[in-house]
Amino acid sequence: MSLRARELGFLVPALLLGMLGLAAGASARADALQAGPWQTALGVVMVFVVMHAVLRLRAPLSDPYLVPIMAALTGIGLAMLYRIDPGLAGDQAIWVTLGGIVFCAVIVFLPDHRVLERYRYVIGLTAVLLLVATMVFGTEVNGARLWITIGGGQRVQLGELAKVLMVIFLAGYLREKREVLAIPTQRRLGLNLPAPRHLAPIIVFWGAALAAVVVLNDFGTALLFFGVFLAMLYLATGRALYVGLGVGLFGAGSLFIWAAVPRIGARVTSWLHPFDDVQGSGYQMVQSLYALADGGVVGPGFGRALLVTEDGTPRIPALETDFIFSAVSNDLGYMGAIGIMLLYVLLMARGFAIATAARDGFSKLLAGGLTAVVGLQAFIIIGGVVRLVPLTGVTLPFMSYGGSSVVVNFGIAAILLVMSNRSRQGLVEAVHGVRAT
Amino acid sequence: MNRSIRTLYLALAAGFAVLVLMLGYWQVIAAGDLDERADNPYHLAKQRLVDRGRIISADKVILAESIAYREKGTKYYRRYYPQGSLAAQVVGYATPAQGATGLEQHYNRYLAGSYGTGAILDRLRQETKDGADIRLTLDTRVQKTAEALLAGRRGAVVAIQPATGEVLALASSPGFDLNQVASDFASIRTQEGAPLLNRGTGGLYPPGSTFKVVTATAALDSGTWSPGSTFDDKGVYVVDGKSIYNSGKTKYGLHNLTDALTFSINTTFAQIGDQLGGVKLGRVMNRFGFARPTEIDLPRGEVAVSGRYRAGKILPNDQRDEDSARIAIGQENLQVTPLQMAMVAGAVANGGRMMRPYLVRRAITRDGVVVKQQHPEEIDSVASAYVASEVGRMMQNVVSEGTGTRSGLAGLSGAGKTGTAETGDPNRNQAWFIGYAPAGNPEVAVAVVIEDTSGTGGTEAAPIAGEVMRTVLSIDPVQGEPRG
Repeated sequence: MSLRARELGFLVPALLLGMLGLAAGASARADALQAGPWQTALGVVMVFVVMHAVLRLRAPLSDPYLVPIMAALTGIGLAMLYRIDPGLAGDQAIWVTLGGIVFCAVIVFLPDHRVLERYRYVIGLTAVLLLVATMVFGTEVNGARLWITIGGGQRVQLGELAKVLMVIFLAGYLREKREVLAIPTQRRLGLNLPAPRHLAPIIVFWGAALAAVVVLNDFGTALLFFGVFLAMLYLATGRALYVGLGVGLFGAGSLFIWAAVPRIGARVTSWLHPFDDVQGSGYQMVQSLYALADGGVVGPGFGRALLVTEDGTPRIPALETDFIFSAVSNDLGYMGAIGIMLLYVLLMARGFAIATAARDGFSKLLAGGLTAVVGLQAFIIIGGVVRLVPLTGVTLPFMSYGGSSVVVNFGIAAILLVMSNRSRQGLVEAVHGVRAT
Repeated sequence: MNRSIRTLYLALAAGFAVLVLMLGYWQVIAAGDLDERADNPYHLAKQRLVDRGRIISADKVILAESIAYREKGTKYYRRYYPQGSLAAQVVGYATPAQGATGLEQHYNRYLAGSYGTGAILDRLRQETKDGADIRLTLDTRVQKTAEALLAGRRGAVVAIQPATGEVLALASSPGFDLNQVASDFASIRTQEGAPLLNRGTGGLYPPGSTFKVVTATAALDSGTWSPGSTFDDKGVYVVDGKSIYNSGKTKYGLHNLTDALTFSINTTFAQIGDQLGGVKLGRVMNRFGFARPTEIDLPRGEVAVSGRYRAGKILPNDQRDEDSARIAIGQENLQVTPLQMAMVAGAVANGGRMMRPYLVRRAITRDGVVVKQQHPEEIDSVASAYVASEVGRMMQNVVSEGTGTRSGLAGLSGAGKTGTAETGDPNRNQAWFIGYAPAGNPEVAVAVVIEDTSGTGGTEAAPIAGEVMRTVLSIDPVQGEPRG
């Protein structure tokens, strides 16, 4: 069976899952059997069919599992948004369409991702500019400064794009420096360290991440950027020491900020003791925990939990974005939530498999970095919902409501598939004795 | 580099494994505790999703039912009380905001469908069971009569079936409209006369002379006296240097015990109480259920304990060093509920056997499965059948020629005892009547109390009791469900 036929074979049940979810949510809403918003469903199905067709034409050898996993996550996310508020699902369908266009554009116009390596510094600079622009011109929403308002009142999260650009830059930068970083030249405090000038970027990143916590007022974004940086540093050098050092530095810095900035100190307190102030600072967390408890083992099913009050407002603030996972856990229960988490683990497995199969250092770092971004982001927000880490305002990839997030994640998937296609193409050409171009 | 990639993958996958464990803690292990927290809005919201069972009277009148409505795509239920204010304090209300009272609270498990061992399994399966209906012993015809007679006054009527303990009517005035609770609770709560209070079970009143039924039982039970025992009334009985007079300072001269009850002669009963002593009188009070929470199927907080109170606390009955002369005539800080006094009359009527009073005969699912059935239950034997019949005979005299003639029960061979507790203000007497009918085969025992009246038990309470009992006796038992 060809790779694309396999993709189609998995894509059909994955899309059916989302459509069933939408119909179930609509039926629960009407208390009668309903097909749900079939136009929306059909539109999203069409987007994935077109993506599949473009892959058949332009990247036939790419990984066949990634798109079905995306489709399952996107579909269930859409169904959850529909049950929270049908209007949200309509918007999200537009974002998914936009994401599909970006996906196809990347597949068509970026046949060889290695050109990116050539522009690594331009890309890195753009990432920094985007972040600085956000800091300066940003609009504050829910206390975090992550958005830029563009025409028509639309808000764009430039950080989402900056995240991808940073991974591309780091892949190029670390490929170049990996040897000097991997070989220790000096010994300090019982640790084998490379020369200070090579260590400098780590220190700069550490400082920038902490600054972001304070300036952006967003622990999640900082954690994500720094975590991805450490992950890629580890991939490049294979030295766990850097990870340990980085985590230690970040932890120490966070502790300092926690003690020094009262606003952030209060947030940590409400993380540790949400039940001390149920109506105040702990409100969101406690409501979310009640939703988890209400979901139980199997949950009542799509649209059947009491996530939304009678007047249509969600019980948990930011339910459609930061807390979409609480909605899943409530409607679908522990079993459904485990299913979603397994999908993310599966997504990472495919991403890292693409990285492993890649034939050059830049591609490996890029694929590994992009996979780590998606996986780590899912971990951070789910970890926040289950109170493992402080709650942060990052989105759950492919599921949360929001255009920037959807479009960027579709773009990430496209880059991964381009890489996957290239490495297999190279393999085919090598086997057939054709010189790679 | 591939080794690092695999290590990174395993590290992230391990992170997700921790998430799975942590989520399991919230969704499975801690879920029960979280569900039961008072500030959990799910708990309240879920109440509105339950199709609560109906509350149906013995004569098949629906007193409470749930009505479905749809809002934003969700099916909710709200409680509706077709009879409005009828038996309001007994039926009680159930709203998310005000909580639940009365039968709505006491039988919530059945009404909300969370009865039985299947409840835990249902929770696992996330299924909701429709609530079961509860079928009352209360008859709306009797209840309506009682409420109509109480209208415009403050007081209570309790009617029970002596042989079974089934409560036929439990009326408390003033009342309130149950349908108004959800919309305007504040005006009910602030209304004068405390309409929310169930005076039948929760109202405490000095029993006055109705307590002489208990004293008479103790007198005959002791073997020292018989109905024919003679006494010579000088118009006053002195105990501990303080005088006890008859009502209106009347002097009765030579008389027997039956006459003493018929005309409610204080001096004679004070003498009996004095001679019996606190311990002997107290033991009979114990058997009648004084100083003990009355076992009835209503929330504990709505049922008061009858007995002697000091500084708001209930005292044991059988104390040696107390003024048993004054207890014998219903004084000495005695505070009793109408329900307790109805049970006293009921025990006498039932050959000395006191039955546990109950309001709900059975709980039954929509499919007709009986999930709870109440059977008559004897609480205690207050006296021998002989003593009870002798006390009953004396009580018959009360309605045929004594203070209770206004009950009009003589024609029904009824029995009774009046009581008038004076508060010092002649316009604020508490008028009592307890009794049963017919004497041969008692079908109903009643207690009536009227607050703040210038009349007496004989003029105010006795006619009401008589009317209520006639209503019970006029009901063809075949028409309603057979009682007991």
